Amino acid sequence: MPEPASYRVATTVVLVALCAVPLVVHDEYYLHLFIVSGVFVVAVLGLDLIVGYVGQLSLAHAAFFAMGAYTSALLFVRLKWSMWLGLPAAALVAGVVALALGSVILRTRGHRFIIITVVFAELMRLVATNWVDMTRGFMGLPGLTIPALDIPGVGSIDIASKSRFYYVVLIAAIAAFVLCRVIVRSSIGRKFVLIRENEPLAESLGISAFRYSMIAFAVGAALAGAAGSLYAHYVGFVSPDLFNFSYVTIMLIMVILGGKGTLAGPALGAVIFTFLPELLREAAHWRMIVFATILIVATLYMPKGIVFPLVTHLLARQGRPRNARAP
Amino acid sequence: MSPSITILAQHLLNGVLIGCAYALIAMGLTMIFGVMNIANFAHGEFYMLGGFVAFYLVSLIGLNYFAALPLAVVVVVALALVLQHAIFRRLREAPMMTTTLVTIGLSIFLENFALLLWGPQPQSIPTPFATKPLSFLGVYTTPLYVFCMGVTVALIIVGHVLIRRTRMGKAMRATFQNKEAAALVGIRIDRIYAYAFAFGAALAAAAGAVLGGFIPVEPATGGIVTLKAFIVVILGGMGSFVGAIVGGLVLGLAEALGAGYMPSGWKDAIGFFAVILVLLFRPEGLFKRA
Repeated sequence: MPEPASYRVATTVVLVALCAVPLVVHDEYYLHLFIVSGVFVVAVLGLDLIVGYVGQLSLAHAAFFAMGAYTSALLFVRLKWSMWLGLPAAALVAGVVALALGSVILRTRGHRFIIITVVFAELMRLVATNWVDMTRGFMGLPGLTIPALDIPGVGSIDIASKSRFYYVVLIAAIAAFVLCRVIVRSSIGRKFVLIRENEPLAESLGISAFRYSMIAFAVGAALAGAAGSLYAHYVGFVSPDLFNFSYVTIMLIMVILGGKGTLAGPALGAVIFTFLPELLREAAHWRMIVFATILIVATLYMPKGIVFPLVTHLLARQGRPRNARAP
Repeated sequence: MSPSITILAQHLLNGVLIGCAYALIAMGLTMIFGVMNIANFAHGEFYMLGGFVAFYLVSLIGLNYFAALPLAVVVVVALALVLQHAIFRRLREAPMMTTTLVTIGLSIFLENFALLLWGPQPQSIPTPFATKPLSFLGVYTTPLYVFCMGVTVALIIVGHVLIRRTRMGKAMRATFQNKEAAALVGIRIDRIYAYAFAFGAALAAAAGAVLGGFIPVEPATGGIVTLKAFIVVILGGMGSFVGAIVGGLVLGLAEALGAGYMPSGWKDAIGFFAVILVLLFRPEGLFKRA
């Protein structure tokens, strides 16, 4: 896609606005929502690699998120590893498990793949619930903390407050965005799209759909694992509830409505669909019904999503951004 | 009989009923998959609705148990036809991602709608059967169990005969194998879609209504049932009716044995491992497409 100046301006404005959030927003609750949406951005970008770029529907993504949360939590509780070690470990575990699972189930892409990812997610929930000696079952693992940031020469910086942890999450979200952008703009990313658009053609060119699906699946899972680790240490508690099917549903809504196969769309979708449910808090009973309806209608009638097409339309028409689209 | 054999027999007996229910649900799921090329994630919701409607007909309206069961099936089939007309008709020829996401949305919708209407508490359908256990060679069972067993087995046979012996079944199988050719010989594909969907919903709702006297139904039941039915369908071979029946029985028996001899909570993991083994060694499933 050509990049008019308006996109670069928009990117700068968004970045500045994002950095300024804790300076403007002092309400703890809204700051909390910003942090949670940042965590979701990391996870959802990973999901977008699989769903949006390679075109395989994975329903195990929330399970990788939860697996990352549990990995980080267990390392903290059992071995006293801080988040700085726990986060890479969580990403690694989720990525390796995805490789192992993918090597079996990505050979049969299509319906079987979708079904087995959801069966796998359910199995992980069973493990978290029933392996009581390790995970404490339903009781979960409490008492996780956010570590101090030790910089040699500067000293130890406390980042546990919301306004400071926000920046940790922001950096993670930007890092995930840049990583995904590098991937999708490389030859790997072009192969992803070719496999999505025309798998027989890709295979005839010697591009292994299996191998490239594996890359997307593993990198996506690793991002989910990293997001899970951030979430666990931020909330301070993990439990088998993290494996609820509603998590994968909301992540899919973020990707689909954001605009699958783009990066900015799902990232913005993650922010919008973290805040929107809070506005619907009054009607908690209706929330999932509203979400389900949105998912059905958007899938049927808006295959390109809402957020990304809308934003690009606005930017293209204006030539320049109207004002800071602070997410 | 020695005690250990009696216990084994008891577990197997428990497994057969669940297995028959799995078979019943998976037959419909496989039919919808074969005819419409849709992995229907809302399928278990028909089971749940069958159970709930039967419960309300019996306990709130006070309808006779034996009249309530078929009526519940009729109600659910009517709903299924509305859904078919409103949503599933539009999914013909749609990409897999679209069909799957829509059925997932529908599943969440129906589950939460049931939650709004009926609340989260599990409900057992009151039955007119005596609770006194029957004993046979040291193996215990109840009249309700015998009744459920009889109905599910009868329904499997009826379903099988419908598919194998009737003109309608023939038309469905023809559509299953080759849509264009079926359309060419004058089969109305859109009508077959509706029949296949109603057929699947009816079997699942019947399973829900019958087992609802035995296993309490709650709104969240649907998701678990869908998952189990998918495991059965993959085990048996996607699109195979014999596979659905055999796979259902195998999973039911394996889970009953697992529940008997393994730490509780792990029996649901059996299906997953079975699926992985099948994918590794026999990816097309135990039975090829019928």
